[in-house]
Amino acid sequence: MEEKRNIIAVIPAYNEASRIAPVIRSANAYADTVLVVADGSTDATESVASDAGAVVLSHVENCGAGAATMTGIEAARSMGATIIITLDADGQHDPHDIPAMLLPILEGTADIVFANRFGQRNKIPLIRRIFNGVGNIITFAVTGKWVADSQCGFKVFGPRAVREVDIRMSGYEFCTEIVREVMQHRWRIAQVPTKVLYSEYTMAKGQSFGLGVKTALKILLRSFLR
Amino acid sequence: MELTAYQIIAPLVSFVALAYAWSLVFRQKKTVWEAILWTLFWSAIAYIAIVPDSITYLTKVTGIKDRENAVVVTFLGVLFFIVFYLVMRLEELEQRQTRMIRKLALKQSDLEPDDTEE
Repeated sequence: MEEKRNIIAVIPAYNEASRIAPVIRSANAYADTVLVVADGSTDATESVASDAGAVVLSHVENCGAGAATMTGIEAARSMGATIIITLDADGQHDPHDIPAMLLPILEGTADIVFANRFGQRNKIPLIRRIFNGVGNIITFAVTGKWVADSQCGFKVFGPRAVREVDIRMSGYEFCTEIVREVMQHRWRIAQVPTKVLYSEYTMAKGQSFGLGVKTALKILLRSFLR
Repeated sequence: MELTAYQIIAPLVSFVALAYAWSLVFRQKKTVWEAILWTLFWSAIAYIAIVPDSITYLTKVTGIKDRENAVVVTFLGVLFFIVFYLVMRLEELEQRQTRMIRKLALKQSDLEPDDTEE
């Protein structure tokens, strides 16, 4: 018997009051529920998200994108999600790419779908390309799996991945941990080229070089501690 | 060849560590790739213990030739281990704090996972 489909979009957000409303409205067109996890936000992220039609959960302290994503995934599971979409709150990802991202899951050819911002012509600053390249190399070194855009937060989890995913890393390093989950649970993956919209705002909020180094060290440390 | 106690114990410890790492793979707690990385690490430890001459080139690189230098390097190693241990403890505390904050968020929204199903 076919499982009833319940698609939930999870958006981790930290001080994104000025950007999150259009993301929620666009995502609402493709998901049954949009769930926002306000990760210790000190601005009006929660009220703006709630007004835009999202279910809102709040961390009392800022824990990082990984922790907020896992809180969202656990809440989505409790709400009976069969498919979970994760995307950034800053408008960097275009929710209109969701149908293309959902396709491999709906066709049953993949358990998880990774967005690939480098798979089509996108205006991506050189420094971002370098950061992502280094992230891909570190991810390959600790997981043995090459993913073209391993550090992108835009992903779709199919029913099997929804049941099995368990993210323990709190910060940006969770993207690498998801690739590790792919290897551990032997999920089938698909990679779909997507649009990306970089602005001064998203560049300013993105990872700095120092944070990138810290993330890399954490990934290496954690992979040794497992 | 006369074997020292260290040359017997180190390979044994390596063997136990490797057996444990691969048992975690079979219990699906570690990936095959991670086990391969651990295998390389512990194999190197065991090899160096059995064939200590294999790292004589290090004396050229590091300049460690006598006991005094070896003592300094040993204490550096101990300090490194202490820092590593403290980093691990900090990581554990951070993870515990994160788990508490996440649980609180789920509890406040009445969306706590039902553990009784497991």
